[in-house]
Amino acid sequence: MNGAQKVDKRKVEINKFSLIFNKLGIYVVVLLLIVAGVILSGGQFFSASNIQSILEASALIGMVSAGLMFVVYSGNMNDMSIPMTMAMAGMLTVQFINLGFIPALLIGIASGALIGFINGLMIGKFRAHPIIWSWGFNLLLSGIVRVVWQGKQLYADTVAKPTEFAQRAANTFYAISRTYLTSFISLMAVVMIVMFVIAWFIHSKTSFGQKLKIIGTNYDVAKFSGINCTKVLITAYMICGVCAATGGIFFSALRKTSSYENGMGYDFSCLTTVLLGGVQLCGGKGSVIGAFGGVLAYSILNNILSWIGLDTYSKYLVQGIVFLFIVWLNTYSNRKLGKA
Amino acid sequence: MAEAMPRSEERYALEMRSVSKRFPGTLAVNKVDFCVKKGEVHALLGENGAGKSTLMKVLSGLYSDYTGDIYIDGEKRLLHSPNMAKEYGIGMVYQELSLAQRISIYENLLVGRLPKKNALFIDKKKAVAEAKELLRQVGLEHLDPTMDVSEISQCDAQLVEIAKVLGSKPKIIVMDEPTSALSSEEVQRLFGIIRNLKAQGLAIIYISHHLAEIFEIADTVTIMRDGERVDTLPISEVNTESLVEKMVGKPVNNFYTREAHEISSEEVLRVEDYTRWGFFHHVNFSLHKGEVLVICGLAGSGRTEIARSLVSIDQINQGKLFIHGKETHFRNFGEAIKGGIGYLSENRKLYGLALPQTVQDNVLSCVIDKYSKGILYNPAKHTALVQEKIDEMQVYPADPQRQVNSFSGGNQQKVLMAKWLAADVDILILDEPTRGVDVGAKQTIHEAIRRFVKQGKSVILLSSDLPEVVGLCDRAVILREGHIIGEILKEGITENSLLIAANGEGEYVK
Repeated sequence: MNGAQKVDKRKVEINKFSLIFNKLGIYVVVLLLIVAGVILSGGQFFSASNIQSILEASALIGMVSAGLMFVVYSGNMNDMSIPMTMAMAGMLTVQFINLGFIPALLIGIASGALIGFINGLMIGKFRAHPIIWSWGFNLLLSGIVRVVWQGKQLYADTVAKPTEFAQRAANTFYAISRTYLTSFISLMAVVMIVMFVIAWFIHSKTSFGQKLKIIGTNYDVAKFSGINCTKVLITAYMICGVCAATGGIFFSALRKTSSYENGMGYDFSCLTTVLLGGVQLCGGKGSVIGAFGGVLAYSILNNILSWIGLDTYSKYLVQGIVFLFIVWLNTYSNRKLGKA
Repeated sequence: MAEAMPRSEERYALEMRSVSKRFPGTLAVNKVDFCVKKGEVHALLGENGAGKSTLMKVLSGLYSDYTGDIYIDGEKRLLHSPNMAKEYGIGMVYQELSLAQRISIYENLLVGRLPKKNALFIDKKKAVAEAKELLRQVGLEHLDPTMDVSEISQCDAQLVEIAKVLGSKPKIIVMDEPTSALSSEEVQRLFGIIRNLKAQGLAIIYISHHLAEIFEIADTVTIMRDGERVDTLPISEVNTESLVEKMVGKPVNNFYTREAHEISSEEVLRVEDYTRWGFFHHVNFSLHKGEVLVICGLAGSGRTEIARSLVSIDQINQGKLFIHGKETHFRNFGEAIKGGIGYLSENRKLYGLALPQTVQDNVLSCVIDKYSKGILYNPAKHTALVQEKIDEMQVYPADPQRQVNSFSGGNQQKVLMAKWLAADVDILILDEPTRGVDVGAKQTIHEAIRRFVKQGKSVILLSSDLPEVVGLCDRAVILREGHIIGEILKEGITENSLLIAANGEGEYVK
């Protein structure tokens, strides 16, 4: 028989507008938020200082989200060890600042890669529950950080020996979060955007990205298609670890302090941005461009909350509500698509 | 299409008038009239995607946005939730068992309406008695209702499922592929119960792909195609050919004819002393170039386990595998595919296809590494290959960018087959490649298998569908309880010889 020539009379048109809206998704939200921002700030929204503060606020969260996106996309929901990965990277970078800025930086980033490797091995190979494992691992890491440094905070300028070389390294370390390329574009924001470009490339142009798509949709199908799931998931977690470590280092530099508290709350705020950007909590769906939109929307929303004059405590409340709403929307749209 | 059925004076148990259900992008059921009399077994037939499941889901109250009228016992009813459907007397017996495995039979049977004592405690005595009465109706009076569901056989579980539905006192029972997990004796037991229910005046809607069953049990048959009702006829007025023709929409030649083709004596695969403890032991067999070898055995004989070990999804404990005469050990499935051996799993949803992704992503999922340049991978470059494979498999609609879960079951299975054709392996293990698909899709898959071996490639087929085995296979090895107990050459292969041998008896057993 020749099925291809059959005409399906049952096919009917899908609303074009809903398709376009679906594609643009988060950027429509970003645009609406910008309009709201312009109105609420009385025109101050586009001032250099405000753009600068939005970019700075989005930079740290963006760096971490660029990596977390891979974990969410792989169908493992969230990496709960992000806070301590950030803290650990900050601690190590400052601790080794005497070796020079670049070696210290590399050590910090390597710690993130190692944490990611262990996560990936446990979750990808031994199939530990992604949330419970990474949460427990976070606890273990926080124990390590507290025991090794006796709960102390580290300051680069006091850790550095009084040699010129070490002091210069410490100063470079502080400077990375305070460098501006023009009057208002901070180095942090540039690094974040570069990380997103790399993430986009890895996600959409490499065989790793394609394999991650199949794994994220259905781990067993990927396994039964001959995909080496362990290897791919370890890579995904290592990318996440490296990104979180980078974020942690910039965080320490910005605060001029490394402590076990650095990175607290980043697990959920980054998940919020990734989900806002349309990445599906159950994996296999979403894009890096979307996740970037999620970061923008999240930081603009925070900025608007400041213009309204909301205090820090109320901000927590709003962030919690946004997170729960996004998770609900994420699961709800899945159910509508018949996946969950 | 058939003209609308007149509303007769005769009281129907169920009348569905001009029922339609629209999904985004598809009109799944288009103005269907479907009427079932009391005391009648009414078979509902159609290819995968013909709309019969959707129609039954409307009946079970899963959609609140259908159009058209539904009358139950002559009274117009709205079926906007499963509870409403249940209340109006519609009982659904599902294909996949919906019993909770770890709790007892009586709790399953009386779920949601366990009799209470003192408004707080469960009256276990009364519950067990009620459960016993329900079990008696399906001929399971010997079962102890306090046993866990996990302790009883699959056939009994299917009957308990029916008992559970009877508990809500339905007037109409829908059975969707109730025999898919049953042996032929168990099917007869089920039919006895269906006849019994029929005698009590219940209307039974029976959905099955096994035409032989339809002829045995049904009184009337309704055929659907492309979301519309094609015809409704008494069973005495149809035969297999006319039914298939109505389902497919055109005459179908006998698709189990065998064609002679060359099989060379060249050995492409051989296993020696292949053992995975507890699953199969000291298995020896070989596969030749251009051959379809069937590993014939009952469910649980270890055939799926052998297949999984051949491609290194599971590891063996001892034994050797030779590919093209060379001893080979694959460390993982990916290496096996590179080594030229593929495995189409029996479970499409769990292991076969990434349903929410596109046809292209799925068809290329085995060959991502092969088509990568270094770390770079550009699927757009291979659209032509995907198009070629899905055209070969007659996937409809033949759109590589369409999501797999928007296809019907039969077309999904074709996509799965296309995925393994695209994998470019020369030994393909097919585990139930046509499970649950309609005749048209089945024929397409069989043709693809024949073309595949004609190219000098080889197939190991695991199938419970005996006509399929007879139609395709060149040689069969008989597997029973993890041991190879015999071999049947092409001349000796008939449905009977296979069945007898699989049960460990007959002339072919060593």
